[in-house]
Amino acid sequence: MRAIAQRLLRQVVLVPVVAVASYFLMASLPLTTETDAKRQVSRELAASYRRDLGIGEPLGFLRPWEKLFRGERLGTSAQGITGDELLTKLSGSVSVGLMALPLALTWALGFALLRTRWRKGRWAALGDVVPAVAFGTPVFIPALLLAPGVVERGHLLPELCAALVTSIWPGIFLGTLVGDSLEAELSRDYVRTALGKGLSRAAVLRRHVLPNVWPAMLDAVGPVATSLLAGSFAAERVLGLPYFGQLYVLAVLNKQVAVVVVATTTFATLLVIVSLAVEVLRYALDPRSREASA
Amino acid sequence: MSRVPLRARVGLALLVGLGLLSLVAGRLFPEALASTCPLGMDPTRPDRTVCELAFGGLWVSLAVGLAAGALSTFIGLAVAAVARLSGGAVEQTLLRAVDAVFALPDVLVVMVLQLAGQSLSDAGAGGGLGPFGLMVVSLALVGWAGPARMFRNRLATLESQEYVAASRALGGGGLHLLRVHLWPALRPFALAVFLSRLPAAILTESTVSFFGIARMEPMSLGRYLGTSYAALIYEGGGRMVLPAWALLVLLVLGASLASQALSGPPRRVS
Repeated sequence: MRAIAQRLLRQVVLVPVVAVASYFLMASLPLTTETDAKRQVSRELAASYRRDLGIGEPLGFLRPWEKLFRGERLGTSAQGITGDELLTKLSGSVSVGLMALPLALTWALGFALLRTRWRKGRWAALGDVVPAVAFGTPVFIPALLLAPGVVERGHLLPELCAALVTSIWPGIFLGTLVGDSLEAELSRDYVRTALGKGLSRAAVLRRHVLPNVWPAMLDAVGPVATSLLAGSFAAERVLGLPYFGQLYVLAVLNKQVAVVVVATTTFATLLVIVSLAVEVLRYALDPRSREASA
Repeated sequence: MSRVPLRARVGLALLVGLGLLSLVAGRLFPEALASTCPLGMDPTRPDRTVCELAFGGLWVSLAVGLAAGALSTFIGLAVAAVARLSGGAVEQTLLRAVDAVFALPDVLVVMVLQLAGQSLSDAGAGGGLGPFGLMVVSLALVGWAGPARMFRNRLATLESQEYVAASRALGGGGLHLLRVHLWPALRPFALAVFLSRLPAAILTESTVSFFGIARMEPMSLGRYLGTSYAALIYEGGGRMVLPAWALLVLLVLGASLASQALSGPPRRVS
C-alpha cells in the first residue's frame, strides 16, 4: 500500500509545481506599455495583468485562484474568463475526450489484431508504416480535411469529428503496444495448453490472454489521455469548437497571462486525475499490483 | 556499414533524401518548382505555388527538428550522465524532475515558453534569439526528459556488464568509465534517441506554428498550413494539405525506421 501511496503522492505534487512554476514564469514577463514603439499589450491588458496576478503582493500566486472562486473575471473584459465559464469549456473538451476514448480503443483493438495477423505474411511492413502514418499526421491535418464538411456545409457533428481526428494517433499507439503484448502472451505455454485442452481461440483470448494484456494497456492510458487532450486543442481550433483548447490557444495569442496560468494548472490537474484513476483501475484489475503493494 | 540493419539504412536514406530534396527544391532552386508544380498556386499567396511552399516549409521544419533534436538529446545525455555519476538522492531528484516534465504535453509547454520568449524578445531581453532560435530552445526545454530517461536506463544496463565492473575494480573513476567504456557503447543508441526526437520536435513545431503562436519566417510546414487554413476550409484544402502531410509522414517514417533499428539492446562482449 505504501508503494501505491508514494506513486499517488508523486502525481499529486505535479499540480502545485505546475501552478507555482507557470505563475512565476508569467509574472516575470516584461509586458511593456510605456512607448508606442515597444508596446506589447494594451493598457487595459497590462492593468489586468498586474491586478489578476497580484504582482508585488505577498502570496500573489494565490490571487488568480482567489478571483476565480469569488466568481470574478480573469483577464480583460472582452477575452477574460470566469470560473463558471472555465468549467463549461473544460467539460466541453472532456466530453470530446470521452467520445474519443472509445474510438481510440476501437482503433487500438482493430490495429492490434491486424498487426498480429500481418506479422506472418507479406503485409508485415504495414505494421511499421501504419504507426508512422498515424504519428506523422498532426491532428490538424485530418481536421482540415474534414473541415469543409463540418464548418462550411454543416453536414457532420463538429464534436464527433473532433473526437474522430483526435483518436487516430492515440488509438494506433495503444494498438502497437497491445499488439506487442498480445503477441508475447500468445506465444506462451499456457495458451498452447488451453488450446490443446479444446478451448476455443476466442475463449482462450478472453479468459487467459486478455487479463495478462490489461497491465500493458493501463501503462499506455496516461500518454493516451495526454495525447487526446492535447490533440483536442488543434481539433477545436480548426472545427471552431469554443472549448478549453480554443480558450488556451486564444489566451496565449492574446497574452491573457492569468488565464494561461489557471488553464495550465487545470490541465495538469486533469492529467493527475487520469493518472490517479489509472492507479485505482490497476489495483482493481491486476492482482500482481495488489500483491506487490501488500 | 554492413552491420547497420537494413531498416536503419532505408530510414536514413529516406531522411537524407528528403533533406536533399528540400534543400534543392525549397532553398537552392525554388524557381524550378514554380513552373512545374502540378498542384497550382496557393490561394492565399497567388505568387507562390503549393510545391514551393511545401518544400520550403519542409526545409525549415527539418532544420528546426534537427537543431532541437540534437539539443534535447545533448541535454538528456548530460542529465543522465550527472544522475548516474552522482547516484543516490541527486539521481532520484533528477528522475522526479524528468517525470514532471514528461507528464505535461509538449505542445502546451512550448506554447507557454513561446509566449514568455516572445515577450522577452519584444522587450529587448531575448538574448539575440530570433524566432528560429526561440523555437529550438523551447522544443529542447520540453524534449530533454524522454532522452534523459532512456540514456539513464541504458547507462544502468551498460554499467552492469563485466568489462565495466572490471574497469571499476582496477580503479577506473566515473568519468573515465563514461568516456572510455560507456560512451563508445552508447553512441549508436544516442543516434537512435536523436532520430526518435526528430519527428516529435517537427510535429510539435508544426502544431504550435499552425496555431499562429510561433512567428517562424520563412514559413515552416505548420505555419504554412496555419496561415492559410481559413482558405483551405472554404476552397477545398486537400490540394494544399496533402503534399505537406505526405512530406511529414515520410519524414516520420524515415526517422522511426532508423531509430527502431538502431536502438536494439546493447551488444554483449563474447
